This record gives sequence, C-alpha cells and structure tokens, in this order.
Amino acid sequence: MKKLSKYFACGLLVMFILAGCAKQPTDEMNAAQKALEDLKAAGGEKYIPEESKKVADALAAAQEEIKTQDGKFFITRSYDKAKQMLAQVITDSEKVKGEVAAKKEEAKNNALAAQEAATASVKEAAALLAKAPMGKGSRADIEALKGDLKGLEDGLPELQQLIGQEDYLAVIDKAKAIQEKADAVSNQVKEAMQKVKGK
Amino acid sequence: MASPTCSHRRNPKILVILGFLLSFILLGCTPPLPPPELKLVEQMNHDLWKAQAQIYASGEYKSYTTTFNKIRDDLIKQNARFVWFRNYEPISERLRAILKDGEDILTKVQERKETKKANAIRQRSELEQRMKRLDRLSLTINEGRLARKNLTKADLMIKEAGSFLDRGDYEGAGARLTRASSYIKASENILTPIFNRYTNKALREKWKRWAEEVVAESREKGIIVIIVKKMDKSLTVYEEGRPFKTFKIGIGRNGLADKLLAGDGATPEGRYRVVKKITGSRYHKALLLNYPNEEDRKEFLKLKRMGRIPQKSGMGGLIEIHGGGKEGMTYGCVSLENRHMDEVFELVTLGTPVAIVGTAF
Repeated sequence: MKKLSKYFACGLLVMFILAGCAKQPTDEMNAAQKALEDLKAAGGEKYIPEESKKVADALAAAQEEIKTQDGKFFITRSYDKAKQMLAQVITDSEKVKGEVAAKKEEAKNNALAAQEAATASVKEAAALLAKAPMGKGSRADIEALKGDLKGLEDGLPELQQLIGQEDYLAVIDKAKAIQEKADAVSNQVKEAMQKVKGK
Repeated sequence: MASPTCSHRRNPKILVILGFLLSFILLGCTPPLPPPELKLVEQMNHDLWKAQAQIYASGEYKSYTTTFNKIRDDLIKQNARFVWFRNYEPISERLRAILKDGEDILTKVQERKETKKANAIRQRSELEQRMKRLDRLSLTINEGRLARKNLTKADLMIKEAGSFLDRGDYEGAGARLTRASSYIKASENILTPIFNRYTNKALREKWKRWAEEVVAESREKGIIVIIVKKMDKSLTVYEEGRPFKTFKIGIGRNGLADKLLAGDGATPEGRYRVVKKITGSRYHKALLLNYPNEEDRKEFLKLKRMGRIPQKSGMGGLIEIHGGGKEGMTYGCVSLENRHMDEVFELVTLGTPVAIVGTAF
C-alpha cells in the first residue's frame, strides 16, 4: 500500500510538472505581433500585400491554436504547435520584410528615374519656349504653352514631396504624366517654331 | 478442480467488458474530423480580401468576418470538448450559410467595382470633353497663363487617374478625377465670365449700334470705315457703306475682354478714329487710334470710383492697328499680316472711323 501511494504521488508530481510547463507562449506571441507590425511599418501591405496578408493570417491561426489549447483540460494542454506557428510567423515576417525592402528600393530607384526624366522633359520644354518668338509679336500658341508649362513646373515639387513620403508608386504615375505632357509641349513649340520659319 | 472451471466461466465476461472498454477508447482515439467547409470559408475570406471587399462592401465584409470569428471561436470550444461529445454539424451548417453570404458579398463587390469603373471612365470622358472645350476657349481668347495652368494640372490628374484605372484601383482613380474636376472648375471660373460678355444682350446691342453707326457714316459720307470684330478675329474695310475687304487679325493677350486699364492685355471696344499713320513702325506699319476716347475715360473713372480697378492704375494708350502677323499676340492692339497691313494702310486716311466690337450682326 505504501508503495502504491508512492507511485501515486510521483504520478501527481509529473502531472503537475507537465501542466506547469504548458504555459501560454506570451513572449513568443508578443515577438510575432511585433514582427508583423514591423512588416506593416516597412510597407508590406503596400508593396507585397499578398504575402503580408499570409503572415497576418498565420498569426491569427497561431492565436486560434492558443485559444484551442486554452480550452483543453490542463493535462492534455500543449502550446508546442502554437510556439512553432509563432516562430514561423516571425521567420516569415522577416523574410517578407526583406523582400519589401528590396521592392521598395526598386520602386524608389524607378521613382527617382521617373522624376529625373520628368524634370528633364520640363526643362527641355522650358528651354524651347525661351527660344520661341518672344514679346509683342510672339505667337498666341506660345503664350498658351507657357501657361501649360507653368502647370507642369508646379507639379515637380509635388514629386519631391511624394518621394519624401516614400509614396514611390504615386511618384511614378505623376512623373509619367508630367513627362508625357512636357514632351507634348516641346513638340508643339517645335511645330510652332517650324511654322514661323516657314513664313 | 473447481477453480479452473470457475475462472473459465468468469473469463468471457471480463473479455466482453474489456472489449467494450477498448472499443470506447478506440472510438475516442479517432475524433470526428473538423468540418470540411472550414477550408472553403477560409478561402472565401481570402478571396473577399483580395477583391477589396473591405473597400467596396465594408459593412457586409465586417459582418461576415465577425460571424466567421464567432464560428471559429465555437469551433475551438467544440475541439476542446472530449472527443465523444464533439458535434460539428451545427458548425458545418453555419459555415455553409456564411459561405453563401460570402459568395453574395463577392458578387456585390464585383458589381460595385464594375459600377465604379464605369463611373470613373464616364467621368474621365466628361472631364476630357470639358477640358477640350476650355482648351479651345482659352486659345480663342488668348487667356494664357492662369486658365491653362489649371487645365494642365487637370490633364495631369486625368492621366494619373488612367494609371489607377489600369491597376483596377477605382477609388484612387475617383479621387484623382475629383481633383481634376476642381482644376477644370477653376479654369472655367476664369474663362466663363469673359465669354459671358458675348451673350449679354445689352452689350451686343451696343456693339451692333456702333457698327451700324460707322457703316452709316461710310454710306452717307462715301468714306472708308473699319469694323474690327474681336470674336471673329476679323477686320472689315467698308467702302460707301458696303463691305469691301475682310482680313484675319490677331488681338491682345487678353483680347476678348474690354480694355479697362494699362497692361491688362485687353483690346478696347468703342468708336475710334485713326489719328496717325506710322510707316516706320516696329510692326511694319501702324495706324494709331484715339484710344482712350471720352467714353473710355468716363468708364475708367467710374470703375475706379467703384473700386473695380486699382486706384493707382493708369488707362493705357497707344492702341494701334499694325502689321507683324495675324497670329501675333499683342498688348491690346489689332495686328494683321504685313501684306494685309499694306492694303489697309493705303485705303485709310487720318480720321477714318474705326469701330471695335466684340461681335455684331
């Protein structure tokens, strides 16, 4: 009987030890949440939305797993799977964050190139307009084109502002529009000058 | 000898009990599978997110996700129950219902996106039409800087909206088109008042009267007179009351407006006379008019008193009909091609009446 009691006590001790080990993975959860927040702050949702969503979903799944384990009888409770899932969330967040950084860098380079091209086109249009017949006898078209150019020149600081805000996709769209319009102005000036020469 | 017989009798009972126990345990070891609809609903949730349900059907999507989260919580509770007591059927039923809701939301999202897209395309087309009209107007009245600057900004916004449309971002496209619309409106606010003068009945009658008076003078005195029509950008020489020759002209940078003060780039409206013939003009040849006349002076002082023009402003002067080309943009003068100027110069004498009107007849 004494021996049986000993076994029983030992069994209870092991059970309590095991139950004591099955503690909610709070630190891992906090780390995973931070990793996801960092990914968001890095622009994950903007530059790689699909992958970022997957990471967010994986975190939600890990949270669910924790809830599942919370609902279990303490002897059978285990957070090992949740811990694994949270570790995966952290790994994936870091990986996607790295990809975001690369994508962002690429977008930034494209934006800077687009800004440069747009600025060059506006400058070319301005130089052509400066060469065009000036003053009282100048063509009405040239005067109108100067108005057009003013609108384009006003757009250039906006590009810089958008670069400052790291909104590279917006920079590319705007720069492309400015470049197109500036090139059109240049062509119109050339045509106008050609007409004057022809007279 | 009795004991072996007795144990033989008890053994089958024990075996049956053990068998029952074992079967219960085994049953317990193979828990019922979670509802298969779960994966489908999860996929639907992803599809809705990808289709931007959070933008195009935000209310419905929120309610969908709330319901889904509740079902998931209940599923967790079911999973936590002892295997014998788990029942996924009610959850399956709810998942099937929410899947159906998801399909409906997805359809709604697609419809709303299509509507947004169609609206954005229609709005873009309307704005482009308005822009084209204003572009022509601004060129007609030589209103360069301000109106055209706004038109350019509108054009840029419309182009940007096009990129958003190509990417399927109809919300972004809509926002840019709204900005484009405000630039177009600003441009309209500049151009419309100038054009509205040309539909003003009293003004049109005044212009008509001036034109008729100079034509009558030409007829009665048998002299040459000139009528300049700003809207038509034409100069007609009348001989003995009949139109003799018409030439295309250029007018001021702000030519369609009436001249109010020096430097406004407007071409004056009124009845004038040629007061000087200049052969050595910077613009080939020139006919100087007696602008400002008495009526112009009175009007200028009246507007100044009313505060409609700055107190320090001057009236301006030296309004001429000169050469230099019909496409020339002047500070308010009337310009002709040099060869046409030669013809007019020959026909005109000092004192020749000139009526400059917005439009007439």
